Amino acid sequence: MTIDLQQLKTEGLLAIKAAKDKLELANLEIKLLGRKNGELTNILKSLKDLAAEVKKEIGPLANEVKIILESAVAARHRELSASAWENAAAGERLDITEPALPHLDPGHLHPITQVGRDLEDFFAKLGFMVLDGPELESDYYNFSALNFAADHPARDIMDTFYIKGHDPAAPAGAGWLMRTHTSPMQVRALQKYGAPLAAIVPGKCFRNESTDARHEHTLYQIEGFMYDTDITFAHLKGILEAVAKHLYGPEVKMRFSPKFYPFVEPGVRGEVTCFLCKGRGCRVCKNSGWLEIFGAGMTHPNVLKAGGVDPAKYQGFAFGLGLSRLVMLKYGIEDVRLLESGNIKFLEQF
Amino acid sequence: MLISFNWLKQFVDLPDSVTAEEVAEKLKQSTVEVEKVERQGRSLDKIIIGKIIECARHPNADKLKICEVDVGAKLSIVCGGSNVAPGQWVAVAPIGASVVWHGQGEPVVLEKAIIRGVESQGMICAAEEIGLGSMFPKKDDKEILDVGTSVGNAYMRSLQPGTPLSNVLGLNDSILEIDNKSLSNRPDLWGHYGLAREVAALYNRDIKEYKTAVIQEGKDVKIKLNVESEIFCPKIMFVAVSGIKVGPSPEWLQRKLLAVGQKPINNIVDITNLLMFELGKPLHAFDARSLEFLPAGRQGNKNSLEINVRFAKDGEELVLLDGTKIKLSPEYGVIANHDRALSLAGIMGGEGSGINNDTTTIVFETAIFDAASIRKTSTRLGVRSDSSARFEKSLDPNLCEVSLARAVALTLELCPGAKVASKVVSLGKPRLPTGPINIPKNLFIQKLGFDVPLNEAIKILEHLGFTIKAGKKELSVRIPSWRATKDIAIAEDIVEEVVRIFGYDKIPSLLPPRSGALPLPDTLRVLENTVRAVLAGTLGYTETDNYSFVSRAQIEALGDDPNLYLELDNPLSKEKPFLRRHVVLNLLENVVKNIEFAEKLKMFEIGKVYIAEEPGVRAAASGSDLLPRQDVEMTSIFVEKKNEEPFWEAKRAAEAASSVLRLPWRYAPAETKPLHPWMHPTRSSWLTLGTDNTVVGTVFEFHPAVAAALGLESRAAIFALNLSVVDTLILETQKALVYKPLNPFPAVTRDLAFIVKQEITHAQIVSLLKNADPLITAVELFDVYSGSKLNHGYKSLAYHVTLESQAKTLAANEIGGAVKKAEHLLKQKFGAEIR
Repeated sequence: MTIDLQQLKTEGLLAIKAAKDKLELANLEIKLLGRKNGELTNILKSLKDLAAEVKKEIGPLANEVKIILESAVAARHRELSASAWENAAAGERLDITEPALPHLDPGHLHPITQVGRDLEDFFAKLGFMVLDGPELESDYYNFSALNFAADHPARDIMDTFYIKGHDPAAPAGAGWLMRTHTSPMQVRALQKYGAPLAAIVPGKCFRNESTDARHEHTLYQIEGFMYDTDITFAHLKGILEAVAKHLYGPEVKMRFSPKFYPFVEPGVRGEVTCFLCKGRGCRVCKNSGWLEIFGAGMTHPNVLKAGGVDPAKYQGFAFGLGLSRLVMLKYGIEDVRLLESGNIKFLEQF
Repeated sequence: MLISFNWLKQFVDLPDSVTAEEVAEKLKQSTVEVEKVERQGRSLDKIIIGKIIECARHPNADKLKICEVDVGAKLSIVCGGSNVAPGQWVAVAPIGASVVWHGQGEPVVLEKAIIRGVESQGMICAAEEIGLGSMFPKKDDKEILDVGTSVGNAYMRSLQPGTPLSNVLGLNDSILEIDNKSLSNRPDLWGHYGLAREVAALYNRDIKEYKTAVIQEGKDVKIKLNVESEIFCPKIMFVAVSGIKVGPSPEWLQRKLLAVGQKPINNIVDITNLLMFELGKPLHAFDARSLEFLPAGRQGNKNSLEINVRFAKDGEELVLLDGTKIKLSPEYGVIANHDRALSLAGIMGGEGSGINNDTTTIVFETAIFDAASIRKTSTRLGVRSDSSARFEKSLDPNLCEVSLARAVALTLELCPGAKVASKVVSLGKPRLPTGPINIPKNLFIQKLGFDVPLNEAIKILEHLGFTIKAGKKELSVRIPSWRATKDIAIAEDIVEEVVRIFGYDKIPSLLPPRSGALPLPDTLRVLENTVRAVLAGTLGYTETDNYSFVSRAQIEALGDDPNLYLELDNPLSKEKPFLRRHVVLNLLENVVKNIEFAEKLKMFEIGKVYIAEEPGVRAAASGSDLLPRQDVEMTSIFVEKKNEEPFWEAKRAAEAASSVLRLPWRYAPAETKPLHPWMHPTRSSWLTLGTDNTVVGTVFEFHPAVAAALGLESRAAIFALNLSVVDTLILETQKALVYKPLNPFPAVTRDLAFIVKQEITHAQIVSLLKNADPLITAVELFDVYSGSKLNHGYKSLAYHVTLESQAKTLAANEIGGAVKKAEHLLKQKFGAEIR
């Protein structure tokens, strides 16, 4: 009987291997392992007539042969499937250079949104809140609270859009205007949250300025500020350098020079080495090698006071990035007016 | 403002190796914006002087001459100059030099030329051909530059032919062009002396003292002075000088003025201009005759002058030096004689009171005027001058004495017969807040995060004119008068003075310590970005951004009332003065502009709208004034040519947003509240949220007639959300996302198709089906038909109905029973005809 089993195994394996297609294999499987009349099944069936000792010897062997034959069938089945696919696949070839049809237009976010969001994410990681404020502002928050003198030129009707019935001649607090910068939120945020505070304010700003390729009356800024007991000018440099590197890579250099803003002291403008020419001078940087991208400074004590915060205890910095300008630089846009043009041919590029 | 490097160096010793470019770079980093540095006489490269030995007639041209010119060597040059003559010193461009033909176009390099058959070895130049047109204006079109006459023949005799012309003219200066805007808060930098002080500090040097002599007063002329308002004119000084001979200024003075772009006029006016550019202090010179006191009906007395500094009378007129006639009113300050205004104080002199060729006695005026008044007056009248630019920055009153003393000294020097004819009349002693400011010695590390060495800080401040007394823990810093008028007032100002000269680059970059405040989430921003993701990311919309301003025509075409709109007082575009109340206006304009080139447009914008009648955030720290409400509105628009029911695309967007935001807003029918005129009467829906059914948005088709009025022929559909309102309801209404255990038993889907009357709504049917049997767990519409195959007023609907049980696999009879029940109810309640 042992010999029968060995023979069945050897011959079975050869036959399985030789099976030419799935049908032949299926018939073979029935012949060898079929539940009713399979050769191995018959041997197993005959076991019950044998003596217990012989059973003990033959039983495990028979099972082993069964498992070997079964897995051989399975393996041959896989082999036959694979070769069948190989033949079929040749006829199923696709021209993968064709686009997927029908064409799906994925939609586009405005470049201001994209660059702004990138910066918002960056600042959020540094622990800054993202705040929003009114675009139609009061004369108080836009100017007075930010330490602008009553006769500061920026208040001129030539530079600022005033609201009818609320022009600068209106009584204090009743002057309404389109905010000229995002800085009013410094005071609003301090009044609302107090110090310590770290926040950025992205938003739309307005200047009463004739438009041309380089000038817009509607532009976007990102304001940022940080106040605590020990925030210094060195920290301002640290943050802005981090922003510069985020925008233009680790090699970028940054420099400050003095600039007057009533709401900071000291006040600086910040330049970075031109990303295009790496500081050698090109058309984008007007051959200077530098691009002015922000204004900044240490917040003036009067601004902290207006925010209800004690300048003897708290200090900090504020900065403003020209978001529209960053967008223009990033994508090489030469005419700022395209940003607000609503031109689909422009918008669909982003 | 133009700054002459040579002039600057008069006041500060710099090593010869220091170039103007280097100084400009340092000034840029520490003081002001220098826009460019221009070397004078750049156009004079290779141009030399030559002496004409002989002029011979050209054999082939009447108007040309063949000149033999000594330029060290002898050159033969063909010249058409009308004034060319032997013995003359001229500017010669030899072969290889660059000239600008007739002063127009790009420079060209001279080559050997044959002119009408005669060889010319160079060119005798006209002034404008070598960039000197403004310095030496021509009298005749064909005139060449007669160097000898222009510079002085006596001087020329000491020179060798062939000397570079730039040496002869002294054009060895470099001119720094400074951006005036960067000077707006620095009244002290509007002249060479002030900038020299900065340069001195930057090079760690002392500035040279500005020396003036005491004026030796005279007695012949009496000046009566009245000042109406000390606020308008806190300080003013006059002095008369007689024996004046008006004439051209000496060359050194003219050259200085020309270097900074000021045309020389005559010696007296040039002196006042010189001081304006040197000290930044404007002065004015009157002809004394215009100030004579002339009582009515009596003869004037040239030795009795009256000057009134007063506000103009209403309707008073004044003709300015530049010829403009202006009408005055009492807000404008003037300098007047006994009966009429002579000059617009601090801004511009008047016609007839200035210096003429026959002027013999002059009166110098130097004053301080209120900066704000000067600015206001010059802005209102549109009259700007070098003088007003300076006065409106708040000038140092101490400059009055200095400038007057220097003006008198220069006058006596330039007019040998002149003498001071009056006392120095002076009114006003304004007090300046010069401190001291006491600053703790650790202020620098406290504010900068870097300890500037104290001795360096002190040295910087002293070079800038501050006086320092060092105490144990504090520095007592006194502010110099020229910085005390508005610029420096607090300790932080002192920090800036030190750090800008010390160098911002020397301050380290440090990352701040983690802030003590945790950032609060900005839910509105998250909402905006989620909607963006749905519209642009999922549905293929394009985001646009528009101005906040709209026109009357747009509002009226929309059927809205312009009176509801806030309006700009001073719009840039007279056409679009109104502040939008709806994002849709300019968005629709975008569509109109773009549809020409597209079959289909899907656009959206997120931005603020301005609602006049509703209160928003407060307008001031205290008080009850509130700004108008400014909500953030999202509006999307869908237009497809030939799509007659774009409503469904807008609703698709609303459904996608609702699903992603997990905000189950309801779609209330148009009748829920009065429609805007631009909404389609039967294809509009309000989106409502919360227990109060707050309207948070709309889905509608644009009223075709209104769309047409706004220039759009195709049907357009809008999905709009007021994100600010949604933001306030999000906590209350956002559905929590909770996991449901997976049903181990299979769900079965059956299709139900039936015909009902048009007025039966989908919502009614869904509600009926869902309640028909507990086994029905979902109902989904998949087909709607209402057309010619059906009776009028009927529609055919088809639904997938899902049935399942959490307890077992459903048997066929259970499924059949539930479906029967549903069909029965449809027939019974809605008269449905099952298909």
